Amino acid sequence: MSASDLAQVPGAADHLVSTAPFDPTSAARLTPEQERFYLASQWMLMWWKFKRHRVAVVSGIILLLMYGSTLVTEVLVPYNLHTRHTDFIYAPPQSVRWIHEGRFVGPFVYELTKTLNMETLRRDYTENTSMPHPLRFFCNGDPYRFWGLVDMSFHIVCPGEGATLFLLGTDRLGRDVLSRIFYGARISLTIGLLGIAISFALGLVIGGIAGYFGGWADLVIQRVIEVIRSFPELPLWMALSAVLPVTWSPILIYFGITGILAMLEWTGLARAVRSKLLALREEDYCTAARLMGARPKRIIGRHLLPGFMSHLIASATLSIPGMILGETALSFLGIGLRPPITSWGVLLNEAQNINVVALYPWLMLPVVPVIVIILAFNFFGDGLRDAADPYR
Amino acid sequence: MMGRIARSVLTMLAALLLAGVAGAEEPPMLEAQVAAGKLPPLAQRLPETPLVVDIKRPDWTPGRYGGDMRMLMGKDRDIRMLVVYGYSRLVGYDEQLRIVPDILEKIDVEGSRVFTLHLRRGHKWSDGQPFTAADFRYYWDDVVSNKELSPFGLPQALLVRSKGPRFEVLNETTVRYSWDEPNPQFLAALAGPSPIYIYRPAHYLRKFHPNYIGQEKANAQASAAGSRTWAGLHQKKDEQYRNDNPDLPSLEPWVNTTPLPSMRFVLVRNPYFHRVDTAGRQLPYIDRVIVNISEDKLIPAKAGAGEVDLQARYLRFDNYTFLKQNEKRNHFRVRLWEKVLGSQMALYPNLNADDPAWRTLMRDVRFRRALSLAIDRHEINEVVYFGLGIESGNTVLQRSSLYRGEFRTAWSTFDPKAANALLDEIGLTQRDAKGLRLLPDGRPMEIVVDTSGESTEETDVLELVRDSWKKVGIALFSRPSQREVFRKRVFSGKAMMSVWSGLNNGIPTPEMSPLELAPTTQDQLQWPMWGQYYENNRTGGQAPDMPDALELVRLYDAWRNATNDAEREQTWLRMLGIHAEQVFTIGIVTRALQPVVVSNALRNVPANGIYSWDPGAYFGFYHTDTFWFDPKGRP
Amino acid sequence: MLRYVVHRVLLMIPTMVAISIIVFVIIQLPPGNYLESYIAELQAQGESVDPQKIAFLREYYGLDKPLFEQYVRWAGGMLVGDFGYSFEFNLPVTKVIGDRMLLTIIVSGITILFTWAVAFPIGIYSATHQYSWGDYGLSLVGFLGLAIPNFMLALVMMYLANVYFGTSIGGLMGPEFIGKPWSWAKTQSVLEHAWIPVIVIGTHSTAGMIRRLRANLLDELQKQYVVTARAKGLPPRKVLFKYPLRMALNFFISDIGSILPHIISGTEITAIVLSLPTAGPMLLNALKSQDMYLAGSFLMFLALMIVVGVLISDLALVALDPRIRLQGGVAR
Repeated sequence: MSASDLAQVPGAADHLVSTAPFDPTSAARLTPEQERFYLASQWMLMWWKFKRHRVAVVSGIILLLMYGSTLVTEVLVPYNLHTRHTDFIYAPPQSVRWIHEGRFVGPFVYELTKTLNMETLRRDYTENTSMPHPLRFFCNGDPYRFWGLVDMSFHIVCPGEGATLFLLGTDRLGRDVLSRIFYGARISLTIGLLGIAISFALGLVIGGIAGYFGGWADLVIQRVIEVIRSFPELPLWMALSAVLPVTWSPILIYFGITGILAMLEWTGLARAVRSKLLALREEDYCTAARLMGARPKRIIGRHLLPGFMSHLIASATLSIPGMILGETALSFLGIGLRPPITSWGVLLNEAQNINVVALYPWLMLPVVPVIVIILAFNFFGDGLRDAADPYR
Repeated sequence: MMGRIARSVLTMLAALLLAGVAGAEEPPMLEAQVAAGKLPPLAQRLPETPLVVDIKRPDWTPGRYGGDMRMLMGKDRDIRMLVVYGYSRLVGYDEQLRIVPDILEKIDVEGSRVFTLHLRRGHKWSDGQPFTAADFRYYWDDVVSNKELSPFGLPQALLVRSKGPRFEVLNETTVRYSWDEPNPQFLAALAGPSPIYIYRPAHYLRKFHPNYIGQEKANAQASAAGSRTWAGLHQKKDEQYRNDNPDLPSLEPWVNTTPLPSMRFVLVRNPYFHRVDTAGRQLPYIDRVIVNISEDKLIPAKAGAGEVDLQARYLRFDNYTFLKQNEKRNHFRVRLWEKVLGSQMALYPNLNADDPAWRTLMRDVRFRRALSLAIDRHEINEVVYFGLGIESGNTVLQRSSLYRGEFRTAWSTFDPKAANALLDEIGLTQRDAKGLRLLPDGRPMEIVVDTSGESTEETDVLELVRDSWKKVGIALFSRPSQREVFRKRVFSGKAMMSVWSGLNNGIPTPEMSPLELAPTTQDQLQWPMWGQYYENNRTGGQAPDMPDALELVRLYDAWRNATNDAEREQTWLRMLGIHAEQVFTIGIVTRALQPVVVSNALRNVPANGIYSWDPGAYFGFYHTDTFWFDPKGRP
Repeated sequence: MLRYVVHRVLLMIPTMVAISIIVFVIIQLPPGNYLESYIAELQAQGESVDPQKIAFLREYYGLDKPLFEQYVRWAGGMLVGDFGYSFEFNLPVTKVIGDRMLLTIIVSGITILFTWAVAFPIGIYSATHQYSWGDYGLSLVGFLGLAIPNFMLALVMMYLANVYFGTSIGGLMGPEFIGKPWSWAKTQSVLEHAWIPVIVIGTHSTAGMIRRLRANLLDELQKQYVVTARAKGLPPRKVLFKYPLRMALNFFISDIGSILPHIISGTEITAIVLSLPTAGPMLLNALKSQDMYLAGSFLMFLALMIVVGVLISDLALVALDPRIRLQGGVAR
């Protein structure tokens, strides 16, 4: 369009007119990016929006790594869960060095020498700087049964021959803290997932009934929810844990604790489901489905739920940290899991005394993965929730 | 003139006399009250012949009055520990573990059957009322004979073959108990840390008893106080051991003045306490004991921060390093006293186990010996007790005159080869793919050890035992329970083996009862049903059917009927020998150590001592009433 | 409005009844009873108990009566103010709990105030400076507070406070002030000790509140009237404070309902670690020793606190937000 075009329309007011030929589809034509955008499915949209939230992506990767590690724990860590070293009780963390006497040797640790201090009844450890022990990689270490099927002894990293590798120190029986933290992840992480699965199912069903049918069902369920929410969490957990017969095997107790934790969590989910259903069931498409004769189950499952499934998933993800913390708290108080099951909560319970805080602080390190997991789940859940409604 | 000289001589004599009487000083805390006339002067508060405490330890010095002794306890109920530490008893143990009169001035024992108790004339309760034979009579006539207060009759310690004694009041300060057969437990029960109280403060409790105030008034009083029956109210007011009624008169050195519940209890000196030191000064030296209640896990931290003057309870061996580190900064010393348990932890094979296969095995002495030989006690000692314990079977300690080296070492060395040989001899030669032995019926040999799930020490020791038993082909699983469930499982035979502490009294003298060594109570975890049989007087439970157990019962009776110390010693040694040979309980490590925190300013606490419940009452027999604060020791 | 209030208060009753039944059932479920646990504990410490006395006590405490009867006695008693009997303390429950519940309420109250004081400015800042470094940084700090298990934090803080400030370990005041009348020194001691539990408990709920406040404020800030106001040239601060903040305040009040349970249970576990004279440690002991009336009454009281708290926050919300009143009902 140029100034010369202006002059060509006689009698018209001063306005600009394009002389380009008229293309009836120009308004409707999409650029390739726009086309991709409008034709994308709901999940694609979520994924794109999610990717923009970088912290959430990082958290997602961390979560993936941590859960993945639980599958191959035996291979990743230098020692088995119950391996103990009578001669290295309460050993402090060993630092990995690279340069020995001016020369680059590769990753190694110095040998630990122990002396018994009979006055303070303490084991004192010093590094013997003349004896480096290089780390071995892809080596044979403590034997184990991989996934209960195959006898192996392959480890990614092992201590040097006849030496020790206590990257995070040892506990009162001489067990490597790092290895135990990794093994503890199996229990702690899966309790969260299992518990969420249970409360998710409960929340969906109960909230669905309340939201869709309304009336008496809704009233009763709402009262029940209110009763449960009125309970202070921890005291109720304590009371319920006291109920678990202690003669149950550790596995049963594990499931029992999961069940207990789940029993309080489903209310939040149920309320969210209920309020969403209440709002959505008046929508036209729902009325249409009903008029066409669809049964309530189909309406809820096929039409309503997908509309806010993403919200639910985000909510669920945000509840997992609560469960992990709950298990940690219960085991810490001594009423959750107990040795020989090892979870982060059990490890922290063993660290819950003044000796540890004052003398052996490395035993408190299991709190770090707890923090990391909770942060990761929170950011991840935040990202999911932001992405859950991509049309905003 | 003679008159004047006589008068001045008399005056001088009178002055001297007065000076002599007033020479024994009043505790400064009471001076004001005495001066104001609220309390009678010292001479009238003490009994005519007070007990003179003369301790012959080299580090013992007579003390000065004053100070508050601070302690920590884990819950309100622990306030009863002050009755234990105070240790004021009719008769008590001295440091040589002999039973000597304490509250009593004298006690005459005739053939262990007839006990004549002589009270101190002029002895008064903590509220100033006289302590006389009437208090004993009140117990006999109004408490024990009253169907509502004592529906189940006399306490066990007063029964010999279910018969009680004859009780006589000879005069105001003398009472007598006579049995037809010897009752060797009587004195020990009176001297125990948690004694039987055969006397009550009659003048106080009468106010709650219908025999004195009438049934209607008693009932009205009870419902006003919120009790269901008058007996309930009486019982509640009457708990001398629980120490929870500030109005209840007491004979202990310190009297509780704080009602429950509280986070802080203050116990003040008993102005009518019956003991004095060699200079005639009334004990205790310390004016008050302050007991703070705190979460038990925090107590080591608080002790290390200098918040206590004397503390042993709730301190564990593994707190020692932390406490030692804080000694200088917080002005205390941490000592290590010897615990006197026969074994710090012991395994109890259940000879009355339900499961027939396991029961047969547990009853086979070769099996028990093999299990014992397969334990690496040295490793356990190194790992858990810093090498300071003594590897041993569950038997008496070296301190005791009844100790014999062979009792300690019998079947308690580490000999996996011999263990394997014994197991093979029994016929347990079949093994599965993992090397685990199999029972005759094909089940794997997995011993489940029930624990009360309390301490990490237990878990650790069991873990170590598990590793060493694996080497002889036996698996160990621990099953933690709550205490009540634990006991029930053992009693019913469902638990095949359990773990608990070893002999409670590891330092017996021949006069002390060997009841722990024979089946006597249901609480004995190795033979609960046999124990129940004798506890309930041959009804209930099961009679023992093993010759060695029957021999133990016979020996126990022999001890009870013995008339001199040589006989008693013989029976003790025979019983200990049987236990060492039969390995009825598997001891692991003994002579564990107990940290005791003592403030730098507190004197007369022994540097090395034994920490024993019975005999000893923990601090009791070291005379807490003679502990004192030296102002020079304070920062 | 009045109808709504009455309606809510009446609804509380069946809720409390249901809670009492659940509590009773839970308390009774563990095997054994107080006596057995008492005996077992004495035995564990090497003391012995006279079997005669045990039988006597069993009968006296009515532990041999059927469960239904025990429940009716307890529930009926509660209506008249008799909360039963604590076996452990040999006293009526009311004498035992009184002080502790008061302190629980005080500590919870202070923590709520602390949470508000911290969450408010941070939430506002986050909302107005979205996606800035400050936003991320503060959110991270808030999350850290959420993620660190508060019992570990309490333990470490308590130890450090002792080493560096000389604060006595645990408790809500130095031991010499217990049972003494209030004085300046005692108040100082309480403040010295109180900041640890308040921070430890408060940080947990702060993060959640910051996030929710931020989300709500963001919603408001995108509304038409804010855009209009800004377009009309109102200074940014006025735009912020005059309307959206009022909405945010509403949210604060209503949020008590969701954070109250967390604060109370957070208080419990922290109190256990720090040995505070609040409900937590005593409740844990009561549960472990099966002192059932004491434990049950504690749970009832705590539940009542929450129910009342939620009720107050709902009522306050209705009072503050005319939209709810006019549209009828509360959509929570």
